[in-house]
Amino acid sequence: METTYRERFAALPAPDRRLLVAMVSAALVALALGILGGVLTAAARAGFLDIIPNTGYRFLTLHGVSIFFYWLFTVQAALLLGFAAVEEGRGLAWRGAAWAGFALIAAGFVVSTAAAFLGMPPLYNGTPELASQNPQAMLVFDLGYLLLGAGLMVLPVSAIATLLTPRRQGRRERMSSVGFALFVWAGFLMVSGFAALHAFLPGALWVLGLAPFPASQGTDWHIVFHNMHYLPLMATVILWYVLMRELTGVHSVFGERFSKIVFSMYLVFVPPTSLYHMFLEPDLPGAVRVAGSMLSLFVSVPTLTAFLIIVASLEAHARTHGGRGLFGWIRMLPWRNPAMAAVGVAALSMGLGITFAFVLIQERLAPLLSDTFFVPGYFHFFTLGTVSLTLLAALAVVLPAIGARALWRPGLLRWMPWLALGGLLVFGAAGVSAGYLGVPRRVIDVAYQNQAPALWQGLMAAVGIGGAVMALALAVFAAGIAMSLLPQRRSTLHTAPPTLAWGGAVALRPGVRVWVGPLSVLLIVGAMYLFTALGFELMQALPVSAIGGGGGH
Amino acid sequence: MNEDFWLVAPITVVWAILAVAYALAPWGDMIGYAWVWGFGSVLFAGLAGLLARRCAGQAGGSGGVGHGRI
Repeated sequence: METTYRERFAALPAPDRRLLVAMVSAALVALALGILGGVLTAAARAGFLDIIPNTGYRFLTLHGVSIFFYWLFTVQAALLLGFAAVEEGRGLAWRGAAWAGFALIAAGFVVSTAAAFLGMPPLYNGTPELASQNPQAMLVFDLGYLLLGAGLMVLPVSAIATLLTPRRQGRRERMSSVGFALFVWAGFLMVSGFAALHAFLPGALWVLGLAPFPASQGTDWHIVFHNMHYLPLMATVILWYVLMRELTGVHSVFGERFSKIVFSMYLVFVPPTSLYHMFLEPDLPGAVRVAGSMLSLFVSVPTLTAFLIIVASLEAHARTHGGRGLFGWIRMLPWRNPAMAAVGVAALSMGLGITFAFVLIQERLAPLLSDTFFVPGYFHFFTLGTVSLTLLAALAVVLPAIGARALWRPGLLRWMPWLALGGLLVFGAAGVSAGYLGVPRRVIDVAYQNQAPALWQGLMAAVGIGGAVMALALAVFAAGIAMSLLPQRRSTLHTAPPTLAWGGAVALRPGVRVWVGPLSVLLIVGAMYLFTALGFELMQALPVSAIGGGGGH
Repeated sequence: MNEDFWLVAPITVVWAILAVAYALAPWGDMIGYAWVWGFGSVLFAGLAGLLARRCAGQAGGSGGVGHGRI
């Protein structure tokens, strides 16, 4: 009989548990700081908080750096190591590399956080042009990312060594689908660490007087940025795959090999799709723009394929167990489990995020929308709604097992993802609308001495309210899960949240039809078309035309 | 060589092709792209090599997947 992931994490060697607790604790601190920075930024933009712009940019820097780099990547690294350690149930190999990598990442977090409060606030991309006034502050900022990059190159070595150990010892020839996914995820983390070193080392050397001005840092940043988008999405679908097995007992109806092919596809599609980041470069030839546009269409193929595998597998098992109606079977899923609620909200958010992402990365719309509030408006569907909630769903399974206690107040926590989605819908709707209307991003005061349209401030107020709601819900959800790290008092025993066991001996019903996955993708394509058409209509109605550089777009 | 090797090998090949293309691209100062994807290609070639290496005492046909199966 298969063991559950909870049982496997509960049986982890104590040194591995200590490492995971340390890493998750650091990640949660980064999340808390990032949420604080985000709420303050949104409040300032909404006009609820009267601060000078520079202070607002510091909050924005703290928000972006803490959440996008240190929360997402520290918790990814922890989950990579954790799932690699329990894959064979024998713990981590090369644990020293894991600790060394974590030490580098943690040091990077401290340095990057300090850099947000030194010199000119560098936001999260650290443009070297900002260093002219205070180069030493930029050196500190670059050092933070260099430490992070080095950590991301060292830490996954432990996961790779762990996953290869059964093969090296002759106990297994092939990896499981999850093992293979973890293996390529680890490799991609190392490449992204290298990309960070490659992007920020020239700037640090320039400040030290050892190299010329890093004129190409903008291009190098695109690669870091591309990978830092793709990696959390890859982590998300891997965790959905694992969590659905844990929460429902469902295995993929398409088999292990097909799952491996999809995980491999992620990395095959990463480099060719990165070209769309160059759409703002004025000297990019027209033919390359067309090629980039066509390649960008492939950007979500692996994500949607993995989504289809998971939803089709769930639907087939649910119908075999008596599920009825086009959507009625969805009610059978264990929604009282906070992890299930988080994954459900993550899937909905991903649909919305992909819809608007495809609007943004079109060659004709990218130059018009990239510097507007459209960008933060849509990407919170990914960063918060999809990725952060999925990572927290995984922690909601892993941490109680490590802490040998039940999840804290699952009856309360299961509502938090839905509350976050409510706030996110307000934030996203107002943000995307603001972007279509030309409200700039990365500006703290959008009133422009009352010269800007009054609607802009109203939309920013909605962004502030939606942002506060989603931040509160995310903070409560994360804090509730973090409670699993504390000893449980006998007087406050909580029962374990419910799960299903559909993956047992019951054979799938022959001829079972699954519709929801394909229909979801059809819905996403229709919505993409609708919002693209809306974008063009709005742009053509503008009284001004956008003029690019040499490209003339 | 098993399926794991054959699923990692295409990553190496695609990334290598892209790295060369970016290194030769006459526009946009894409050499950074070439370095990163080129490094990735070499890294995944190394990982594929580890997957291709047969181990002493390995049964050969064993496809056992332990309790990690899903």
